[in-house]
Amino acid sequence: MNPVLKVEGLKKSYGTKEAVKGIDFEVQAGEIFALIGPNGAGKTTTLRIVATLLTISDGKVTFLGHDLKKEPEKVRERISYLPEEAGAYRNMKGADYLRFMANFYAGNGENADEIVKRGMGIADLGTAINDKVGTYSKGMTRKLLLGRALMTRPTLAILDEPTSGLDVINSLEVREIIKRYAKEGISVLLSSHNMLEIEFLSDRVALIDEGRILDAGTSQGLKDKYQASNLEVVFRSAVR
Amino acid sequence: MKKFTNLLVKEIKDLVNKQLIMSLVMMVAIFYFIGEMAKSEMKKAAATQKISVLDLDQSALSKGLAASLKTANFQVEWSQARDAEAAVQAAKQGETYVLLVIPQGFGESVDRLEPKEISTYTFLRSFSIGGIRKSEILKAVIAATNSYLSNDILKKKVPDVAPDVLKTPIKSKDYIIVKDKMAEGSASAISGFVYSQSFIIPIILFMIIMYSSQMVISAIAMEKQNKTLETLLTVPIPRTAVVTTKMLAAGIVGLLSAAIYMIGMKSYFGGITGDIRASAAMSGVIKQLGLTLSGKGYVLLGVSLFLAILCGLAMATILGVLAEDFRSAQTLILPIMLMILVPYLLSIFVDFQTLPLPAKLLIMAIPFSHPFMATPNIMLGHYSTVVYGILYEAVVFLVLVVIAARIFSTDRVLTMKLRWGKKKVVL
Repeated sequence: MNPVLKVEGLKKSYGTKEAVKGIDFEVQAGEIFALIGPNGAGKTTTLRIVATLLTISDGKVTFLGHDLKKEPEKVRERISYLPEEAGAYRNMKGADYLRFMANFYAGNGENADEIVKRGMGIADLGTAINDKVGTYSKGMTRKLLLGRALMTRPTLAILDEPTSGLDVINSLEVREIIKRYAKEGISVLLSSHNMLEIEFLSDRVALIDEGRILDAGTSQGLKDKYQASNLEVVFRSAVR
Repeated sequence: MKKFTNLLVKEIKDLVNKQLIMSLVMMVAIFYFIGEMAKSEMKKAAATQKISVLDLDQSALSKGLAASLKTANFQVEWSQARDAEAAVQAAKQGETYVLLVIPQGFGESVDRLEPKEISTYTFLRSFSIGGIRKSEILKAVIAATNSYLSNDILKKKVPDVAPDVLKTPIKSKDYIIVKDKMAEGSASAISGFVYSQSFIIPIILFMIIMYSSQMVISAIAMEKQNKTLETLLTVPIPRTAVVTTKMLAAGIVGLLSAAIYMIGMKSYFGGITGDIRASAAMSGVIKQLGLTLSGKGYVLLGVSLFLAILCGLAMATILGVLAEDFRSAQTLILPIMLMILVPYLLSIFVDFQTLPLPAKLLIMAIPFSHPFMATPNIMLGHYSTVVYGILYEAVVFLVLVVIAARIFSTDRVLTMKLRWGKKKVVL
């Protein structure tokens, strides 16, 4: 089975500083693949490269057979990216924001109304969807953005710390939404500091530190390998 | 195209907010109000002026002098005071701006050709433009007085010759030459009129570029500050469209804002300078000298203005990328502001052609200088200079667009920052 995303020997440098030092991984269709690691490990840089925001210094990334370097616009049609500190246009109403984003994807067999309807369902903001984004709490904005990221049914959803800044209830809801959409066939590449979240969500995990993948596998497989009770202990053992 | 329109509509909506509409309406209202006030003050200043006269002489000459002032469009109020001091005190209470005191024995002294001094008192009651104009009444009073007295003396001494022939024996016929065209008229009057008709062009250009550039820089900075830029750059639309829609929206809104501002400005300047209209004779001279913008002239000026605006927008796009947030965006407009301000001020005070070569080259290197220079060059028939300027502007614009597009198509759009502390651009 061909992977949806294939990353081979990926390197990224900013001047003399090497943020990603040659990493390899694959994401299969409908799979939730997680990158875990400390701050500055290279998680966000990797996600931003796959989202076509950053250029590749060395190595190769292919998405559905499209080379990211050569065909970034083809890739953008089938991916969706939720940055860790993303915002929405404060002067727009929630519904208008979803429509604005849906208009970029409509026409490929689906009209904007259907996409927006789905986005509203995911965001689940009730009547607040018709309020201006500027009046939203952090949690409401995050749910709106998750609705935006998943409403287009992308082939690959790239989610950077999807529950960042959310309370327990909202975090649970968001995780369930991600899980539900993955079951419907959407592949997810995510990063998180929250090991519990990773264990709950991901099919496979890559441990990343100082720009290198230390190990990868299922949560259970890694725990067995390192004889650890949870992923935090696994990570500590892998770093040593 | 649908995606492009979607983005363009969003960019325009972002720019046309309540604050912009309110500030435009307020500004136009303020300009209009000040203009109308100034206009009414100017009308008052231009109307028949009241002057007070204390005639201590009561001779035929002094009475004739007062009568001549009436014919020179002054409303004479006779002071009944006994002396100058009392007349000044009385005039202080009134509205008169000038008090003329004709001393006793004035008529006789003129007959002896040893005229006594007439005392004049000017009351400064305001320092507004209208007030200053009123204080200039004295000059007109003195001129009218001198004219009457000299005519009177000449008539008595040389009765066979018209006083005007003796006063101005040399009559001149003035000609103005512009390149190969010649017409009869006053050079200063024509220059003044042409300036009054074209001074508005640099103001329009200055305002449009400033407005639009500020909007582009702020729009990009706001996308960064609100963390919306990353999401926008991952949607399926070419990066060039992201740049173009921001520039286009700022251009459209900037143009509209400037047009609305100009309505207010027109009213303001109309009030201060008065409605300057060319007389039929002056229009004829201007036409004869070719000092009007032909269709070709308007096209060249329009193209030059348009390209300058595009250069401003492209520069603003590049500078906007350097901004980290809305606050830092406010300072990034400074280089563009300086580049517009220098040729703008020079176009008002200096003749570009008379500048030393290094200064001339420096000014020519600024793309915004060319539309400022275009109007006089077109009027003087230097079309090739204007065309070269347009070509230069086009080249600068293309270079800037290529730079902006390259920045937006790479990750520099996210990583470029201007760090004031380290005083360097981080790429």
